[in-house]
Amino acid sequence: MSLAQAEAHELELEQPAGLWKDAVQRLKRNPGAIIGALLISMFVFLALFADVITSYGPGEQVGSLGGNGSPPSSEFWFGLDKQGRDYFSRVVYGARLSLLVGVVSVSVGLSIGLVLGSIAGYFGRWVDGLLMRIIDIMLAIPSFLLAIGLVTLLGRGLVQVMIAVGATQVPLFARLLRGGILAQKESDYVLAARSLGAPGPRLLLRHIIPNSLSPVIVQATLSMATAIIEVAALSFVGLGPSQPGLPEWGLMLADSASRLEQGLHLVLFPGIAIVLSTLGFNMVGDGLREALDPKLKS
Amino acid sequence: MSEPLLSVTDLEVRFKSRRGTIHAVNGISFDLRAGETLGIVGESGCGKSVTSLAMLGILPRQAYPADGSVMFGGRDLLRLKDQEMREVRGKDIAMIFQDPMTSLNPILTIGRQLTESLRRHLKMDKETAREEAVSLLDRVGISDAGDRLRSYPHQFSGGMRQRVMIAMAISCRPKILIADEPTTALDVTIQAQILELLKRLVSEEQMALILITHDLGVVAGVCDRTNVMYAGGFVETGATESLFATPRHPYTAGLLDSVPRLDASGKQRLVPIPGTVKTLMEKPTSCAFAPRCMYAVDESRREVPPLREIAPGHHVACFNPVPESDLPQGAITEAR
Amino acid sequence: MSLPLVEVTDLKVYFPIRSGLVVERHVGDVKAVDGVSLTIFKGETLGLVGESGCGKTTVGRTILRLYEPTSGRIVIDGKDITDLPERELRPLRDKMQMVFQDPYSSLNPRQNVGSIVAEPLLIHGMERKEVDAKVRHLIEVVGLPHDAANRYPHEFSGGQRQRIGLARSLALNPALIVADEPVSALDVSIQAQMINLLEDLQDEFDLTYLFVAHDLAVVRHISDRIAVMYLGKIMEIAPSQELYTAPSHPYTKALLSAVPIPDPKVERSRERIILKGDLPSPVNPPPGCRFHTRCPYVQETRCRTEVPELRAMKQGQVVACHFAEEIADGKITPRSEMVGLAP
Repeated sequence: MSLAQAEAHELELEQPAGLWKDAVQRLKRNPGAIIGALLISMFVFLALFADVITSYGPGEQVGSLGGNGSPPSSEFWFGLDKQGRDYFSRVVYGARLSLLVGVVSVSVGLSIGLVLGSIAGYFGRWVDGLLMRIIDIMLAIPSFLLAIGLVTLLGRGLVQVMIAVGATQVPLFARLLRGGILAQKESDYVLAARSLGAPGPRLLLRHIIPNSLSPVIVQATLSMATAIIEVAALSFVGLGPSQPGLPEWGLMLADSASRLEQGLHLVLFPGIAIVLSTLGFNMVGDGLREALDPKLKS
Repeated sequence: MSEPLLSVTDLEVRFKSRRGTIHAVNGISFDLRAGETLGIVGESGCGKSVTSLAMLGILPRQAYPADGSVMFGGRDLLRLKDQEMREVRGKDIAMIFQDPMTSLNPILTIGRQLTESLRRHLKMDKETAREEAVSLLDRVGISDAGDRLRSYPHQFSGGMRQRVMIAMAISCRPKILIADEPTTALDVTIQAQILELLKRLVSEEQMALILITHDLGVVAGVCDRTNVMYAGGFVETGATESLFATPRHPYTAGLLDSVPRLDASGKQRLVPIPGTVKTLMEKPTSCAFAPRCMYAVDESRREVPPLREIAPGHHVACFNPVPESDLPQGAITEAR
Repeated sequence: MSLPLVEVTDLKVYFPIRSGLVVERHVGDVKAVDGVSLTIFKGETLGLVGESGCGKTTVGRTILRLYEPTSGRIVIDGKDITDLPERELRPLRDKMQMVFQDPYSSLNPRQNVGSIVAEPLLIHGMERKEVDAKVRHLIEVVGLPHDAANRYPHEFSGGQRQRIGLARSLALNPALIVADEPVSALDVSIQAQMINLLEDLQDEFDLTYLFVAHDLAVVRHISDRIAVMYLGKIMEIAPSQELYTAPSHPYTKALLSAVPIPDPKVERSRERIILKGDLPSPVNPPPGCRFHTRCPYVQETRCRTEVPELRAMKQGQVVACHFAEEIADGKITPRSEMVGLAP
């Protein structure tokens, strides 16, 4: 309500300490963001020290082949899978893969999206019209369907899958940045910089883009979760990275889904890993959204 | 003198913030009589809006009245239940705000919004409420009222929207109308229209008006009495004429010296008030204006000056009021 | 009077209204500025007043070529800049600067004050070493604390932020400053500090101001001459004293009488012209005189059909009203149904 805003303004309730410092402070006070950050740190830790944490390699056969593997035991915490591999090692190494997939595909989506969004937002007019209609078309196709199409087109290597998933995120980033740029382009400080004689690139890089980035940063965090799920889902339907034996959570789920009643642990652990990692990114993303947008906080 | 209609005593309002408690209003008292127009003037952050919100029980979540009472019709409004307060609000005391756009619901027609409160508070049936709404719009100077009922807020200009807000506010014939910066968002010619309208309605309806504004000119034109507010307290109160003619508090005098007057003769240099207002993180123990004041004495820095009557009906909260010999009449010299 | 610094002739600025998906059609124009001519002399302050939507901000920004003129001519210091491409305009930008209304939005929140004030100097190619000294000097000139350079805009109050903007504008030693509502976002007690600072800087740096504002009292205080705008056109230009004592245009009269004066005695005895109705839309402005729909003096002939030209009245006073003389002589009186006379 405007009333509360007016009051907050009138009293200068919150004297910020520094733009980023302030955001970090708000983030620290948000329990959701803290839990999310802890979850992410845990997965990052697992990914970084996978070979130290686990006693066996992800592809190493330590038990007998066939059957439904063996359930968790004191020696094999998460049990063995049907190829007799240590399931704990596979889930831990899976973190490495999932984080990689998340980072790479989001980077792909982000960089293409940022370029398209900047061009559309800065040049406007017909360039904007054209790019935005293309993006509308991309948005009209369900993103998973788009990913499936792209994988079919590009092939099923790990890199191709990551590119495909990244490509589905281009429209989101492009739209977000374009919106931000359109809003900032007309702002007084950009006008002020123009009146000082600042050339176009300086306006864009120094003034407009830095001030349009906060929603993009939030979206990037949330997109990490989407990317992890989407790659898992692609693997699950059989379109994931095709290297056999890759410790990918979605693939692990797919391999054991049909045998749910015999080997619950085979579904449970990769499932939990997917849920916890995406939850972590979502919670941090929501926290960031609030931290970067002070208007939302009350 | 008759019994006051509304009597505010020692009202204190505090805000909770991350950095501690903000003392927004620190023990203000005033009476409002039936049919009277009272101006509350001050700069942003002085607590003038908070005062009115506290009186109506619509403070933002993080604010609360810490002390004092607001007596109206034998009841203390600060201690009413939400349900009872809702009855008072709109029916006995109505309020209009600075921004008429955000106070109107954009997806409902003007007619719907006007008739709603008539039907709720006055239990009118649909047809009577419609007729009343037409006559209300007519009274606030909106022509073609019948057709206008079907319009949506965005089809109205800022001035028209403020008229609609006023129509809604007076629809239940309240005894008190609180107007919080009602013309700040409007152009001068439209401001003049709205102020005329308010003056006319106040006399026609026998309403009391509390006009909250930062604009000394608006108060001068509309109000019988004026209270000047600084950092959560009244520094000077009195009949508008005597307060403007003989401002005795250094802040009031300073404010009058610092605004350029349209009718000033020749080009004089303005005399600004040095420094800025500080947010009050604790209850003041000295005169809040002292750090910016050239009249401040030792006492001002030790104690909070109480409001004292220095002329009939004219109160000043100052240990060393501006001597009358120092009072400029339009002529402002650099020496001061 | 001295030499003209800015000469604007028949300036028009239309903002096209477009619609369409990919290919946009031109469906109309907002005629923000529609044939404005004015001259600003070296060293003077020209006030430009009018209500919201009258085009005063657009005039200011177009003079600095921040908006593209639709037609007309803008000459600054003898040089026609109307059609100069941005590349050729850039070196000239050091001569003309702007101060904005909103001290919160006119500063990039992610730049510190030092970098904000240094930006114009760096753009115009000053050496890094010199820049630091100059920035320090500017910060002092506008009365900011010495440690300001390393702090960020949000750490300052509204008045101080306005000083930061002013320091940035002064950096290039401009001749002209277009100040667009520079004090209207500030509290009254701070307004006076800013107005005085603007006056001091004008003396010190030999500045010429175009002071755009809606507050007639402030404009009258600071300006040597005042131009009154209504719906994209200039209604009257006069020296401030004359404009107040003897306004010629009915709109100026109404505007002056609507400004509240902080003196109850004056307020209660003033005769007030209260205009009826709202401003017409600049997309479809009224034909003839733009003010005729609200003018208390409107006549049956000419007003509704013939656009009044700006013409000279007394010394230094120009007005765009067909009947200015008759109104001044009292031969035409306001129609009672068009005004509310108060008290």
